[in-house]
Amino acid sequence: MRTVLELAVRSLLNRRATALLTVLSIACAVVLLLGVERLRHESRESFTSTLSGTDLIVGARSSPVHLLLYSVFHVGNATNNLSWESYRAIAQRPEVAWTIPLSLGDTHGGFRVLGTGPEFFEHFRFGTGRALELRSGQALSGPRDAVLGAEVAAKLRYRLGERIVVAHGAGDVSFSLHRQHPFVVAGILRHTGTPVDRTVLVRLDGMDAMHQPPAARSDVDPLDAALAARRGAAPPSTAPRAHHHETRHAAAPGPQASTDGHSAHGAITAFLVGLKSRPAVLSMQRQINEYRAEPLTAILPAATLPELWEIVGAVEKALFGVSVLVTAVGLTGMLVALLTSLNERRREMAVLRSVGARPTHVFALIVGEAAVLTLTGVAIGIALLYAGLAIGQPWLEARMGLFVPIGWPSMREAGLAALVAVAGIIIGLLPGYRMYRQSLADGMTIRV
Amino acid sequence: MTGSGREHHPPPVVDLHGLRFAWRATDRDLLRIDALRVPAGEHIFLRGASGSGKSTLLSLLAGVLVPDRGRILLLGHDLTTLSGTGRDRMRADHVGFIFQMFNLIPYLSVMENVVLPCGFSPRRRARALAHGGSVRAEATRLLGALDMADPALLSRPVTRLSVGQQQRVAAARALIGAPELVVADEPTSALDADRRDAFVDLLFRECRRAGSALVFVSHDAALAPMFDRTIELADINHADGADEAGR
Repeated sequence: MRTVLELAVRSLLNRRATALLTVLSIACAVVLLLGVERLRHESRESFTSTLSGTDLIVGARSSPVHLLLYSVFHVGNATNNLSWESYRAIAQRPEVAWTIPLSLGDTHGGFRVLGTGPEFFEHFRFGTGRALELRSGQALSGPRDAVLGAEVAAKLRYRLGERIVVAHGAGDVSFSLHRQHPFVVAGILRHTGTPVDRTVLVRLDGMDAMHQPPAARSDVDPLDAALAARRGAAPPSTAPRAHHHETRHAAAPGPQASTDGHSAHGAITAFLVGLKSRPAVLSMQRQINEYRAEPLTAILPAATLPELWEIVGAVEKALFGVSVLVTAVGLTGMLVALLTSLNERRREMAVLRSVGARPTHVFALIVGEAAVLTLTGVAIGIALLYAGLAIGQPWLEARMGLFVPIGWPSMREAGLAALVAVAGIIIGLLPGYRMYRQSLADGMTIRV
Repeated sequence: MTGSGREHHPPPVVDLHGLRFAWRATDRDLLRIDALRVPAGEHIFLRGASGSGKSTLLSLLAGVLVPDRGRILLLGHDLTTLSGTGRDRMRADHVGFIFQMFNLIPYLSVMENVVLPCGFSPRRRARALAHGGSVRAEATRLLGALDMADPALLSRPVTRLSVGQQQRVAAARALIGAPELVVADEPTSALDADRRDAFVDLLFRECRRAGSALVFVSHDAALAPMFDRTIELADINHADGADEAGR
């Protein structure tokens, strides 16, 4: 059999142009198949590891997936905010261990600005329970402090002490800049691999002060409010919150201090809740969903992620389907190349028979060629994938916020690669069998 | 005659009788040969016109085809009772072939072409080792004996060799591992007369050295005097359909 394998390799080298094209098409198919799988897995992994230890996410009434996307992943914008009073009321429930308020809606240099409190540094966890760490500077201590995510600092090349101006609204280009209230870079976070890397953190009171207009926007035109809400901005959209908005400006920095040192704020976008006892999470969720003073939605992050996968799943399936088709095309190319070579190789087979090759050797020679082609293709495909990951890793992280670690192939990836290899060898059985039949019929008679 | 006493009296290399063969059951017989014997080491010239069934007879002797009736004994083993694999093994171990032309595997070197039978037959590998010390050394010796010692020739792709050179490489391949039977199917038909005689001389010398019987098929009667014995296929073949289907 060693002789046959050597023959297969020599024969392929003799037809190296065709063989190379076949190998490359299989390699490309493998890159696509495994690449799609790797990205799917890593994007899920990265979504899952964005938040850890949070029992509930609470926002204004909306769909759970939407709430999860805008509050944690900073995808899309909230259609409604929730009032400070509701937040405080829930935060002070005895079951609640901690809360983190989140206020979104402004940007800086294309990055989101997140208004929050010191709780963020204390309680926010990601990955396997890791806390945020500062690479330099300090956490938020004053209303003009800003702490930058690792990527924000890297991309905008900011250093500590630099003054930054925040733009209103979520777009990259905004005509409304909060020039009257610049922030000062107080700290820079370490890399987390979560959306925090692409976030500018400021204190809620700083955000409030920034939004305080020279001439207070007290006229709440419904259209104006709706437009503002569509942009994801903090301004009020309903009458009661409009009221809070105005009293906030009037009172700030008023004496409405709460027990844990928070002054009253305007509306916030959402907040994260950690409970003292996890079993209470379902009853707590129900209570928040039935909260009377304001329509709210509470979600369990771990329960809502699968809903997100269901939505994303269709796209993933489509991508996977396309890569399966590309693999099929690559293998079909090999089949065609092998089948068309058979006729011109009848003489070669007759000579092999004359020197003692059995029909099974002839069969094994063709199947061996298919095996060598597919295995080489798969190996080159895996090598190309890793080369691509090594080259594309920084880009993926910078542009998609997706950190793809370069590790051993997962079981599923290895399984897919093995499946391609096996499929290639099985496909080789067809020309192998035809050659076998031909060789049996021809014997040593050379018919061309 | 059926394979007994193979130790003391070496059985004839080929011993066939009562052979009948037709390509299809409905065709008339192409071959109908009562008896044919090739003793060990004998050089036989088998002459026949094209289409007379010469190549078919060789395929039968090599066990690639099976007769419809009769027995073919190769070194005492009845090919007609062996399985396909058994016949293939007999051929690999005991028969060397030289075709009319295009004998060589185009993607192998001269050396790889010559040693090819040793990859399929451990017996011929062992004999080549015993003879030359290594398979390659034996191949080099055979190529040298067949006037193919020039290293420039050996490094050339086989497709760039002349027809005569290709036939000599094929002869070296047929002879490596000293098979008991060498079958040559019109190996000189593409050669001019001088080259033809030189080739046959070399082939004879090496067959004698290896102790191989030679069945040399040709329609060219001019070669006949060089052989131990000449058989006219038309004399031994009593079939009447011979001119129809043979190739």
